[in-house]
Amino acid sequence: MAETDPLPLVIRDLSFQYRSRTEPAIVDISLELHPGEVMLLAGSSGCGKTTLLRCINGLIPHSYRGKLSGDILIFGQSNAGMKLAEISQKVGTLLQDPERQILGSYVLNEVCFGLENLGLPREEMIRRGEAALERLHILHLRDKETFGISGGEKQKVALAGVLAMQPKILLLDEPLASLDPASAREALLLFRELADQGMAIMLVEHRVEDVLTIEPERVVYMEAGRICFHGDIQGLVQVVDYHKIKLPAQVVVERAKSEPQPNFEPAVPQLDTSKPLIEFQQVHFRYHDDAPEVLHNINLKIHAGEVIAILGHNGSGKTTLVKQALGLLKPTKGKVFLEGVETQALTVAKAARTIGYVFQSPSQMLFAPTVKEELSFGPKNLGFDQETIAQNVQWAIETVHLEDELLTPPLALSFGQQKRVSIASVLSMRSRILMMDEPTAGQDYWNYQAFMDSILQMPGFDSIIFITHDLDLALIYANRIIVLFDGEIVADGKQFDVLQDKQKINQWRLVATSLLELNFQMYPKTGKFLRAEALAQLLD
Amino acid sequence: MLVSWRYKYRNSPMDHIDPRARWIFSFAFLIAATSTWNWMFLLTYFIIALIWYRLGNTTWKETRSGWRLVLFMLFMMIVINTIITGGGAGGVVPPGGQLVWPNGFNLFGKTVHFGLTIERLWFAICQILRVLGISMNFILIPYTMDARSYGATFSSLGMPDKLAYTTELAIRFIPSLARNFSVTMDAQRARGFELDDIKGGIFSKIGRMAPLMIPVTMNAILSSEDIADAMDLRGFGQGKRTWLYELRYHRWDYVVLGFSAILIIGGLVASYVLHLGGFVVPQFFYNLFA
Repeated sequence: MAETDPLPLVIRDLSFQYRSRTEPAIVDISLELHPGEVMLLAGSSGCGKTTLLRCINGLIPHSYRGKLSGDILIFGQSNAGMKLAEISQKVGTLLQDPERQILGSYVLNEVCFGLENLGLPREEMIRRGEAALERLHILHLRDKETFGISGGEKQKVALAGVLAMQPKILLLDEPLASLDPASAREALLLFRELADQGMAIMLVEHRVEDVLTIEPERVVYMEAGRICFHGDIQGLVQVVDYHKIKLPAQVVVERAKSEPQPNFEPAVPQLDTSKPLIEFQQVHFRYHDDAPEVLHNINLKIHAGEVIAILGHNGSGKTTLVKQALGLLKPTKGKVFLEGVETQALTVAKAARTIGYVFQSPSQMLFAPTVKEELSFGPKNLGFDQETIAQNVQWAIETVHLEDELLTPPLALSFGQQKRVSIASVLSMRSRILMMDEPTAGQDYWNYQAFMDSILQMPGFDSIIFITHDLDLALIYANRIIVLFDGEIVADGKQFDVLQDKQKINQWRLVATSLLELNFQMYPKTGKFLRAEALAQLLD
Repeated sequence: MLVSWRYKYRNSPMDHIDPRARWIFSFAFLIAATSTWNWMFLLTYFIIALIWYRLGNTTWKETRSGWRLVLFMLFMMIVINTIITGGGAGGVVPPGGQLVWPNGFNLFGKTVHFGLTIERLWFAICQILRVLGISMNFILIPYTMDARSYGATFSSLGMPDKLAYTTELAIRFIPSLARNFSVTMDAQRARGFELDDIKGGIFSKIGRMAPLMIPVTMNAILSSEDIADAMDLRGFGQGKRTWLYELRYHRWDYVVLGFSAILIIGGLVASYVLHLGGFVVPQFFYNLFA
């Protein structure tokens, strides 16, 4: 690039306030993005990161109305006068959830969607589409249905659709959120490769520690719509509050030495292996007769006193497995017992008295006009009396710290609050076993840690089971880890036994984190797995 | 995420007919079948539809959910509307007529007088022929037509590009809605909600469906916003678009198009020019009740 060439992206004094809000979402943002650069944009939920991306890609003001001021220059040209089609050829955007971005029913159609909109001839579309798939090493998916591919593959397909339009700037909005650790690592390496080929990349991500592995040239940290830090990685890890974003364990340990020891005592009862709460006996499952088998020969016993983390790659069968326990799915072969009763003989409503199951997305279940009514729904269905319902609702709302929102419509709350309401609505049923599917998905670091702390310290559960992609979550909160790989249980045991073989971890598409490594180093001294803040207290 | 209908390639004769020819045939059939109440025409159309349906090589197992809906509609339309209340026959079946049971019939020792006429009964049979014929044409489409072809087909048939693509999305919205409904149903069942337990009158039942309907509706609204964003971000609707899916007529497509032309022109001429499409009850049917 010649010295005089304009920069890919220059933002000057940018502010925006949504029409329906009373406060601005972003204030006085000024940035420059250079070719070949990865810029990490970090910050807690609601700090304005997504709004900034929308301003750059033109969705603001084309689709979202409000008060906009300041300038955005894309290769020296203001985007204010550009059509979305023009912007989309220079700025590609990958949204957080590929499921929400993919439009085509087949991979090649999805990749060529933007090219169809540009009116390119068919041969040119195929050439460019195949080149984008090849670039991401997924040409073999060309003729597959988009619905049937895994989460990681969906993310790559969505990216191929963006790359096919040959943008020079790439905006990535939490692209790792739905990916298993290995897919996330692959995606990050790919972003690095694209930047090294000259693309300018702005990456919004909560998983800061993961992003640091690809050494972003610039890091921007935002709070309440403003830039609080703008510099390099070294600067960020020293300046930013490590409670708010996830930094490498060594950094946290160094900085937390002077802090008081975190107080965390899980409330689950002592382990009782006399009678299993849930038992899987040679369970096989397929969704319909002509579909491939999703679970193969699952044998499993879950006892009181266990906090179980279920790990596994995208599409490994984690959700399918836990749904069997509640009877939402019934085994094609084999048996599942809930407190000694086979689930075939139980209705889901009856099983719900024992198992409280929190779905991944709160919007799939929230419906009531107030939070109070939402929380009463489950206990009412189970036939509890009015007094018990009132007590349970009060206990559940206090547990998730949303007492002030009892009369608020749940759908008017933020995503994080909705998630807490969805959990409270299951807590109010006072089930003995709590099962959570990706409980921390879509929440920032501070919120999800606080949330998991409070759940684990809640009395009343005999056992807690959670599905997660976050290895550190399993490390800190579980006392048993189950790893699923292609529908089979490939590991089941304590952290120390399951996670000590790095080669196996990689095979299972998990990735060893800095916290895991530090815990193994310190295990002779600690004898257990701890969070970084707790490890800091034990260092000499 | 928008999902598609459960299409699969079967290498059936239907797989080798251009989607445009198929849509044209189906609409020609629809117009021809709705332009007449003459049983001979309807029977002919029914046989044509049956042959057409067989070209798809679908199985009952694949299509049964669609057929259940059609049979439910037929039951409501024919048994309740035409046979019991006589409402559906208004304007086609002349008033009066010959009673099927002029002296009533015996039910548990009591004589019941039910005013069903032979004409209304024949009209119900004609309705069955017509609805099944039309259904056979359209039920086949999602199972045997490549989901990639919809937009390109509509555009090629003269629909504006924007409308053609949004129609494709609208068609795919139906199975997506069904999928979301199933997820929400599971989420609410996990909270002890059972659909079978819903009791009370119709309004009470609708009210108690709120735990299902509200999340499904809200998700539909939110996902339509996401879809709009995803389309905008890739330049949708900014100019003339091209289509990746390639459409090409072959010899058999011209046969189908020719037959469609005969069907629609023949049907309309017979009904509106030659006035042969009126409702008539054949003598053999009267003889059955003599």
